[in-house]
Amino acid sequence: MRWEMLVLFLGMAAVTFLPRFLPMAYVSRLTIPPRVKVFLDYVPVAVLSALVVPAVFAADGGGVGLEPRLLLSAAAVFLFSYKVRNLWGAVVLGMAVYWVLG
Amino acid sequence: MNKDIREGIKAALPVVLGYLPVGMAYGVLARAAGLSIIETGAMSLIVFAGASQFIAVGLLGAGAAIVPVILTTFVVNSRHMLMSSAIAPYFKGQPLRNLIPISAQLTDESFAIAMADTSRITGRPRYVIALQMTAYSAWVGGPIAGALFGTLVDSASYGIPFAMTALFICLLVPQLRTRAHLVVGAVAGVLALSFIEILPNNLYIIVATAGAALTGLWLTEARRESAKAPEGAPAGSVTEAEVEI
Repeated sequence: MRWEMLVLFLGMAAVTFLPRFLPMAYVSRLTIPPRVKVFLDYVPVAVLSALVVPAVFAADGGGVGLEPRLLLSAAAVFLFSYKVRNLWGAVVLGMAVYWVLG
Repeated sequence: MNKDIREGIKAALPVVLGYLPVGMAYGVLARAAGLSIIETGAMSLIVFAGASQFIAVGLLGAGAAIVPVILTTFVVNSRHMLMSSAIAPYFKGQPLRNLIPISAQLTDESFAIAMADTSRITGRPRYVIALQMTAYSAWVGGPIAGALFGTLVDSASYGIPFAMTALFICLLVPQLRTRAHLVVGAVAGVLALSFIEILPNNLYIIVATAGAALTGLWLTEARRESAKAPEGAPAGSVTEAEVEI
């Protein structure tokens, strides 16, 4: 391995570790004010939606794209997940629908 | 084997299904960008941050220097600050020897799985560490396989491009548990779509998350105010203020 690559990876690891670790270290030792707790309570739904919505609706080069293959696959997984809470099933179903429609 | 560890490994398996092909694709790209097989595996082993690794090999392939790649990585991964803060209360009082591995391996995927059922993570660091270690193994194994053999399967076929999206959708659905959560999810989605082309380096995720969670806080406070205003009753707790769908 080239030494500059090792330096790069260690640098990347350090700047990746700090934002993951510092809040964990501090927040887990604090008594959290109620308003902060409400805010943090909404973080999971916000993060997931920020990941899912662009993956389904974003068009290449900006704006909203309505690609039937993505929309139908997403709808199938959404309905399945609403009825059955099975992560494996959802992933396999989503891949299958997306594959069949391709 | 310890029950927590066994359950943690099992909970991670859907993530493994997504990580293996995506990791292989990263391995192929890393080789194309001029990294050796060992370097390709080492980056996954040392860094463990999917999105930023794809961006890093893209930058290296384009001839970028070390410092800009590190700075970009920092920006891309700063979104984990919010996730780390949100999951931290469930590890209150845990010693550093647990907090360090839990936070070092905090990814979008393991965060989402852990938060899908917080009763399973509270006071169970071993469960979380086993979950994350399993995902981590796939994230190191996939790239090495990709670097050695090319993609064993065509990463554009068998619905592989949709695997991660399906995973996130299934994790999003149970989070939409009140009307307020539904609104927050909608706001996050609109913000993400609005900023994805404007902000570089996945910054749209942190902007959309913070903006939407602030909207949720505002909604909750407004509802609490209106609940207390008419009769002058004391403010309800958060759960009382939320309306079930």
